[in-house]
Amino acid sequence: MNPFKNPRLWVWLAAAIVVVNGFFPSVWIFFTSLKLEGELTRIPITYWPQDPTFQNYLQAFREQPLGRYFLNSVIVAVGSTLLCVGVASLAAYALARLRVPRRNLILSLLVGVSMFPVASLMVPLYQIFNELGLRNNYLALILPHAALSLPVATLTLVSFFAGIPRDLEAAAMVDGSSRLGALWRIVVPLSAPGVFTAAILAFVNSWDEFLLASTLLPAKAMRTLPVGIQLYQGEYVFPWPLISAALVVALVPVALVIAIFQERVVGGLTQGGVKG
Amino acid sequence: MNRPQPRYRRSFGDLSEGALAFWLLLPAGLLLGLIALYPVLRLVYTSFFQYQLTLGPEASFNGLENYAAALRDARFWNALKNTSLIVLITVPGALVVGLLLALLANLPFRVKWPVRLGLLLPWALPLVFVGLIFQWFFDSQYGVVNDLIVRLGGERQFWLFRPDLAFWAICFTIIWKTSSFVALILLAGLQTIPKELYEAAEVDGANPFQRFWRVTLPLLTPAILVALIFRTITAFQTFDIPYAMTKGGPGNATETLAMYVRVTSIENLNFGYGSALAVLLFLLSMAITVIYLRYVRGADE
Repeated sequence: MNPFKNPRLWVWLAAAIVVVNGFFPSVWIFFTSLKLEGELTRIPITYWPQDPTFQNYLQAFREQPLGRYFLNSVIVAVGSTLLCVGVASLAAYALARLRVPRRNLILSLLVGVSMFPVASLMVPLYQIFNELGLRNNYLALILPHAALSLPVATLTLVSFFAGIPRDLEAAAMVDGSSRLGALWRIVVPLSAPGVFTAAILAFVNSWDEFLLASTLLPAKAMRTLPVGIQLYQGEYVFPWPLISAALVVALVPVALVIAIFQERVVGGLTQGGVKG
Repeated sequence: MNRPQPRYRRSFGDLSEGALAFWLLLPAGLLLGLIALYPVLRLVYTSFFQYQLTLGPEASFNGLENYAAALRDARFWNALKNTSLIVLITVPGALVVGLLLALLANLPFRVKWPVRLGLLLPWALPLVFVGLIFQWFFDSQYGVVNDLIVRLGGERQFWLFRPDLAFWAICFTIIWKTSSFVALILLAGLQTIPKELYEAAEVDGANPFQRFWRVTLPLLTPAILVALIFRTITAFQTFDIPYAMTKGGPGNATETLAMYVRVTSIENLNFGYGSALAVLLFLLSMAITVIYLRYVRGADE
C-alpha cells in the first residue's frame, strides 16, 4: 500500500510542522544553554549538545544579578496582574449588570485605549513619573502594565459575568449579602475561568514588556528580565551561552503558565483578540 | 401589605444603581486616565514646545515647528518608510503563514496539547527574546540560517551587516513571531465552520482545493479581518524585534518610527521633537483603530 495514501501520515506530518515551528527556538536556546563557548564556535555548528553542562547557568547568575531581575519581574508582573484583575472585575461587573449610560461608547473607548502605541505613552509617562518622584519605583511599571492589560481584561470579564444567571446573585442578596458581597462570593468564583484567563494574559503581557520597563525603571537593581538580559551583550561581545541560559531562566515561568493553562489562554486570546 | 423593596437599593447602602455603577467604574477610569488619556494630552501639549534637556531645562512654545521639522527630517521619512514596509510585508506574510498553521492545526489530532503549545509558545516568547534568538540564528558564522544554507549548497550571507538582508531577516523574524497569534485566531474561526458544509461539498464532487476556496475562505473572512487589523495596528508599533536584532542598523536601515521616537526623546532627551514624532505615530495607530471599530460595530448590527 502506498504510504502517502494513509491520512494518518499526513496528520502526523502536519503536527510535526506546527510543533517544530513553534518549539524550535525555545528548544534551541535550551540546548545552547548546555554548551560551552568552545562548542558554540565550532564549524559546522552542532545541534545536539555534545558535552552538556550547567556551567552557563552558574556563570549567568554570577555575571549579572539575574536573580534580582527575576524577582523584579515577578514583583511587577504579579503586582500589575492583581491590580488589573481587581479593577477590571469591578468595571466589568458594572458594564455587565448595571444600567450604565453610554455603555457602548465606554466599550469602544476601551478597545481604542488598548490600541494606544506604547512608544507614544513612553515620553509623557517618563515625565509624569519623574515629577511624581516615582521613577525607579515598582509602581512606575505596575500602574502602566496594569493599565495596558485593563481593556482586554475588562472586555473578557464582561462576557463572562454576563453569562452568570442573575437569580444566583439575587438569592444571595435576599439572604442578606450586599451587592459587592454577591459580586465577590457568587459572580467572581463562578467566573473563575474568565478571571483566570484575564490574569494569565495580564501576567504574560507584563512579563514580556520591554519598552516601558527599560525607560521607567533604569536603575540596575530595578531592571526586569527583558531589560536585564540585554546587558550581557557588550559592545563587541555576544556571550550567547550565558544569554541563552538567562533566557531559559526567564522563559520557564511563562512556559509553565501557558503549558498548564493552555486551554484558558487560547480561549482568552481568541475571545479578546489581544495584541500579538 | 409591604411591597418588596427594589433589591439593588437595599443591598448597597443608599446607592442608586447609577451611583453604584459610577463607583465601580471609577478605579478603571482613574487608572486609564492617569496612564493613557492624560499622557496623550500631555504628549500633544509637549509636542508644541522646543524642549530639549541637553540644551537646558526650559521649554519654549514653538507652535507647529516640531511637526514642520519632522516633515523636513530625512531620518523621520526613513523610519516611516521602514515601518510602512514592515507593515506591508509582515502583515500579509503572517496572515499566509498563520492560515497555513491554522489549517494544519485544525486536522483531527488525538492528542491536542503539543500542537496547541506549538502555537502558544511563539506568542508567549517576549519580543526582545525572539529578537535576541533570531539575531543568533542569523549570525554570519555560527548561525543556524547560514548553516542550513551551506548544507543545501548555498553561500553564507552577512545577514545583519547588509542593510537589505538585515531588513528581510527582521521581517522573517516578525512573521515567525506573529503568525502563531494569527493562527490561534483563525483556528478559532475554523472551528465554528459546520462540518456538514464540507460533507455537502464533498458529495457535490468538490476537490479539497475547491472546498477551501468555496467553503473555508468565505466563512473565515470575519476572523481573517480581525487578525489583519490587529496585526496592522501592532505592526505600526514595531520596536522590540529590530531593537534586539540590529538596534536599527546598519546605519538606519532597520529603524522604525517607534525606535526613532525612543532615540529622540529618551536617549537624546529631546522631548519636544520626540513628542511630535510620537503624536504622528499615535495618529497613525488611531486612524487604523477607528476603521477597526467601524468594522466591529458594523459586524455587531
